[in-house]
Amino acid sequence: MVPPQLTITNTIRKLRFEHGEMTQQDLAERVRVTRQTINAIELGKYSPSLEVAFRIATAFGARLEDVFSYDSAQDPQSR
Amino acid sequence: MSFREKCAWISFVLLVLLAAGFALGGHLRMDGIDGLHYFLALILGFALLQVLLRVIVARQAPQEARTPKDEREQLIDLKASRIGFYVLVAGVLLSMLLVHVHGNPWTGLESMVLAVLVSWAIKFAGEIVYYRRGR
Repeated sequence: MVPPQLTITNTIRKLRFEHGEMTQQDLAERVRVTRQTINAIELGKYSPSLEVAFRIATAFGARLEDVFSYDSAQDPQSR
Repeated sequence: MSFREKCAWISFVLLVLLAAGFALGGHLRMDGIDGLHYFLALILGFALLQVLLRVIVARQAPQEARTPKDEREQLIDLKASRIGFYVLVAGVLLSMLLVHVHGNPWTGLESMVLAVLVSWAIKFAGEIVYYRRGR
């Protein structure tokens, strides 16, 4: 089976690395979700709600667009 | 494997065993006090095992067990419940058809109980699949 193309990408892994190798568990506690949810978001398996997306950005002290980006060219529905 | 996925596995396996026990043994002995005792023993065993196994799993990850479901887990729960609901509707309609064909209300009752058990088992199977997929 061909995996679905990701139109929403994120830099959570990079940001965790830049914040002293912050663990997924640490981030999950700050964002108030489970570690598995952070993992699913990081791998692009799950797109979080706007609220959680903002909380993730706030946890890194970054803007939302620095954490998440949307590639409309890859979205088959936008064609 | 997360705490919630383990719980889904526990519920799924126990429900399959309960449904199998009901379908194989209970169906044959439903017509009498022995049948009632058999069914009550199945339910009691199911409930006790659920509590026991969930307590064991919760002790392994106490922090995760105390944390309420987040939005992804709630979404998984809702998506799995929707599948279980359709199975339940199909099962109940089939049970009504069986009553109509056989003319025996006990057959309908037994098949409805079985439909409830199977729909719950499928709901938890759905949860497991969604947890494995991550969404």
